[in-house]
Amino acid sequence: MARNRENSSQKGLLQLLRFRTTILILVILLVGFGAVAVRLFYLQLIQGPELQELAVDQQLVDTKLSAKRGTIYDCNGKILAQSASVWQVIIAPAYIETNEQRRYIAKNLSKILDLDYDNVLEKTKQDSYYVIVKRKIESDEREKILKFCDKLEDKYSKLSNVITLFDDYKRYYPYNDLASSVIGFTGMDDQGLEGVEYKYNDYLTGTPGRIITARNANQTDMPFQYEQSVEAKNGDSLNLTIDEKIQSIAQKYMEQGLIDNDVRNRGVCIIMDVNTGAVKAMVTANGYNLNDPYSLSKTTLNEIAQLPEKKRAEAESAALGKMWRNKAIADTYYPGSVFKMCTASMGLNEGTISDNSSFYCPGSVTIYDHKINCHQKYGHGTQNLFQAIANSCNPAFVSIGQSLGEEKFYKYYQAFGFSEPTGIDLPGESDDIFFNEDGTMSETDLAVASFGQNFSITPIQMITACAAVANGGKVLQPYVVQSITDADGNVVKTTETTVKRQVISKEVSKQMCDYLERNTTQGGMNNGYIAGYRVGGKTGTSEKLTSSDGSEDYIASFCGFAPADNPQVACLVFFDTPKGAYYYGSQVSAPVFVKIMSEVLPYLEVQAEYSEDEKQYVDTVAGSYIGLETSKAKKQAESDGFTATVKGDGKKVLSQIPSAASKIPTGGNVVLYTSDTEEEKVTVPNLVGYSVSTVNSIASSYGLNVSISGVTASSSAVSVSQSIAAGKKVDEGTVISVEFGGSTVVHD
Amino acid sequence: MAPFVEVMRKADYNKVYDEKLNNRRERRERSARRDDPRQKAKRKLKFFERGMGIDLPFLLLVLVLLIIGMIMMFSASFPNAYYNKHDSYFFIKRQMIFALIGLAAMIAISFFNYNKLHKFAGPMMIIAWVLLGIVLIVPSENGVHRWIGISSFNIQPSEIAKFAVILFFAHWGSVYYDKMQYAKYSVAPGLGIFAFTAGLLFFEPHYSGIVIIAILTIIMLYEGGMKIKYLAMGAVALVIIVAVAAVTGLLTYAMQRMDGWGQALAYTSADDPKMWNATWQTRNSLYAIGSGGLFGLGLGNSRQKYLYLPESQNDFVFAIVCEEIGYIGALIILLIFALLVWRGITLSLRAKDRFGKLLGIGLSAQIGIQVVLNILVITDWLPNTGISLPFFSYGGSSLIMLLAQMGLVLSISRTANIERQ
Repeated sequence: MARNRENSSQKGLLQLLRFRTTILILVILLVGFGAVAVRLFYLQLIQGPELQELAVDQQLVDTKLSAKRGTIYDCNGKILAQSASVWQVIIAPAYIETNEQRRYIAKNLSKILDLDYDNVLEKTKQDSYYVIVKRKIESDEREKILKFCDKLEDKYSKLSNVITLFDDYKRYYPYNDLASSVIGFTGMDDQGLEGVEYKYNDYLTGTPGRIITARNANQTDMPFQYEQSVEAKNGDSLNLTIDEKIQSIAQKYMEQGLIDNDVRNRGVCIIMDVNTGAVKAMVTANGYNLNDPYSLSKTTLNEIAQLPEKKRAEAESAALGKMWRNKAIADTYYPGSVFKMCTASMGLNEGTISDNSSFYCPGSVTIYDHKINCHQKYGHGTQNLFQAIANSCNPAFVSIGQSLGEEKFYKYYQAFGFSEPTGIDLPGESDDIFFNEDGTMSETDLAVASFGQNFSITPIQMITACAAVANGGKVLQPYVVQSITDADGNVVKTTETTVKRQVISKEVSKQMCDYLERNTTQGGMNNGYIAGYRVGGKTGTSEKLTSSDGSEDYIASFCGFAPADNPQVACLVFFDTPKGAYYYGSQVSAPVFVKIMSEVLPYLEVQAEYSEDEKQYVDTVAGSYIGLETSKAKKQAESDGFTATVKGDGKKVLSQIPSAASKIPTGGNVVLYTSDTEEEKVTVPNLVGYSVSTVNSIASSYGLNVSISGVTASSSAVSVSQSIAAGKKVDEGTVISVEFGGSTVVHD
Repeated sequence: MAPFVEVMRKADYNKVYDEKLNNRRERRERSARRDDPRQKAKRKLKFFERGMGIDLPFLLLVLVLLIIGMIMMFSASFPNAYYNKHDSYFFIKRQMIFALIGLAAMIAISFFNYNKLHKFAGPMMIIAWVLLGIVLIVPSENGVHRWIGISSFNIQPSEIAKFAVILFFAHWGSVYYDKMQYAKYSVAPGLGIFAFTAGLLFFEPHYSGIVIIAILTIIMLYEGGMKIKYLAMGAVALVIIVAVAAVTGLLTYAMQRMDGWGQALAYTSADDPKMWNATWQTRNSLYAIGSGGLFGLGLGNSRQKYLYLPESQNDFVFAIVCEEIGYIGALIILLIFALLVWRGITLSLRAKDRFGKLLGIGLSAQIGIQVVLNILVITDWLPNTGISLPFFSYGGSSLIMLLAQMGLVLSISRTANIERQ
């Protein structure tokens, strides 16, 4: 029985065990495995796509392939800006295992790349697969790096992936500072920062390519093939309207002009094709070296160094901004008397004045208690329209303005394109500043506006208006990019001439060309006269509203075109704040205009036609001999066709009379001063009332030079005025401008 | 549920065959031991006993899982082996050797009379504790004391502890089978053994080991006959602790301390690089599992194994399995595991004695629990603390131990139904 009980209790236990085991199996298989199956279902099928995306994100590496930036050419295909292959040195310090390896790599890299050792060592300590060590290394450095990579692999086989070279590009500007404000430069990431580099950045950059590869966690390629690549599309190239040759000529004389006239606030020269609006040259002098756009001139650096430390950084960035600023389009100025060509055009076009109109100038005119002086205090008397232009007579132009009235004046102001940016394809163009923003003005405003004062426009607006006066009345949109070609040479875009509107009639334009041409022949070189060429132009001297040191500051400008009978090119020259001997447009800017155009016109194959008289009196431009060694200067002066007189016994020429770039007759006397010795004074003789040859002989006997101006084929060739009055004591070699045929130097 | 239970009970399809053999055997042996059934355990047996043959389906399932496991482990491990050991076959070569040793051990042990283990139950527990103590002295690996290295062979004492706990409670439950309803004989030793073992594991730290030991202790006591109410009380206590921890924010803190448990996708390298690195392995495991989708990327085509998922040959091997053969493949493998667990438990139920039953059930259940816990770890539902996947994860000591344990189950299968009447 006991055994039976035991058996039954054992049976009971066995049943319990079986039951509990069944439950256990159910729990493990249904609850446990069930939970696992559900969890996997959720992760793989519901959250799967999201997780897969995250996984793919880390597995695929997207490598950028740099696109080569487009080239910038001048109008003749000369390269102004070009990208060349360089390399980026990248290290993956995460592979490096020991400090010894770090030191070894840092030592060699810093040596090859000329970097600070500690700096590189710090980079090798980062736990990363992508650290830039140096950018834009050139091929010689690259060779050395590649050699070092081999050495490194020999030494530590595991470090073969540490150093990588990535393709990159660097921008080169073969002409350094030529047309710097037009071309602009690029930043570290090849992005355009100024000029057309900035404006046409989207065309120039191209489309970077990509390689997408599967990588393992160490960023090396996985053994299976997964690679997708999109080739880089190189950037488009720009063909500028700028002509390297013309730009160089203009830049050369502008820079000389800055020195000769002690110009404080830079100068601008724009040369434009009057029939298309294409800008042939645009100079902001001085420019900057495009290959090194962040270095300031020594004088600027000295000025900054004198500032308190806190202000230096600010001053430096301001100075850079100023240096990069394209003065030709970004700065506004009072156009002054140059604007009179527009005022006269307005009057003629409206019929309020005509060729026969007569103007009386008593020396000043009073508008509502405002007395407006003419530059010639004793007045010009009675003049016809041409004389009013040639005299640059303010009261005459006040009356032209009055004949138009404020409304019409503003209508023409708008029509000439002064009220809107010209739309030139360069960044940073400024708006004009008119009296009132809505275009209204007072009568006094109208009076001064008539001769170009008290409203501000940009140089590009002025030359565009001048082109309209010259080309038959068409206001054009100026441009600097002629066409854009893609990497395969296909033309992507061509700039067509855009005529915005007809502002004056062809007849008026023709008449104005005639006036302006006669104006130059009257004023001689100080009015833009170039022997052999038919030039039209107008001088201008405008007061600056803000003066730097309490004294009056001026802007001296000249705007003209040639040939006057069939205008092709217009040229604007302006110097901001000349502090030299002269500040008048006729004395500062007109000669520079003449020098530039004298070289540009032959280059443009404009046929020169000298009259017999002109051939006789063609002056030579004096070179600058300052700073040269005495003997060298003498030699050069003589080879330039002058007789050179050396005063003092210094080694170098300190000053010269006549000053550089003055026009003096061939064989004239150039006096070179080599020490601060008392300069010998000569009493100026009377030179008025003689013929050209007489004037020449008198002058040379005194050791003086004469600049003969206004001698035209039609002139009677009797001297009417001399720039320095008789009886005055002057230095030997001084150039005395002697005007012939009744022409005067216009002090406007 | 009932029909299902019925099916399982009837699953003894080799019963008829068994009985034939049994009868033969019984006749032969009855004369030798017709004394007290209490003496059963003490009866004289040969050291190796062929019995009536091993359970072939179980052996087959073991071999199938071993082969699939080795293939998948090789696939998951070769990039790691290639990049870090410069030999793609580094892990698989060793695993094959371990597998051969393990298989040899399994066959040998299948001939071993498991009843001999009765007297080892206590000493084995002591040995496990000593090893768990030693492992704390051994220099740590990444701040974790989990392995004792003997030359190139690493022993994981927690593997031995798991076996020791199963063995101990199988022995206890078979000796005190009639007293298990008393707390003194069930709850007390259970808590004692668990607390001491878990205490040692805590210092390693090896949290998942604690969880496994806890589950194994509960299973063994439950199977041994412990009253359900104690289990219920324990469950209530656990729920309260978890609830309190969750409310006080302690749980979140603990989760964060445990390498960002449950938050593998919550961190970015920029916001919190420390936690981003701590959750690196689990996050990449999730990426791998998610990448697999329904059908997977194809055998051998995992991308996450290319060093994204560190140590992909170890605990996280199943993540690569999911990535390569997808949800379908994962389910098939789970099904084979389920069959193995089910077969192991049901054959153990037919063992001739209570010790064999409990031991076999414990060992089989351990496989199922490890599979479940391993996958919950790699799917970020449990902290990432070292639960290997049986037959799949790389590791000499655990594979050999596992196969040895399977050998024990096979040994039990030989004696199944012998004493049935």
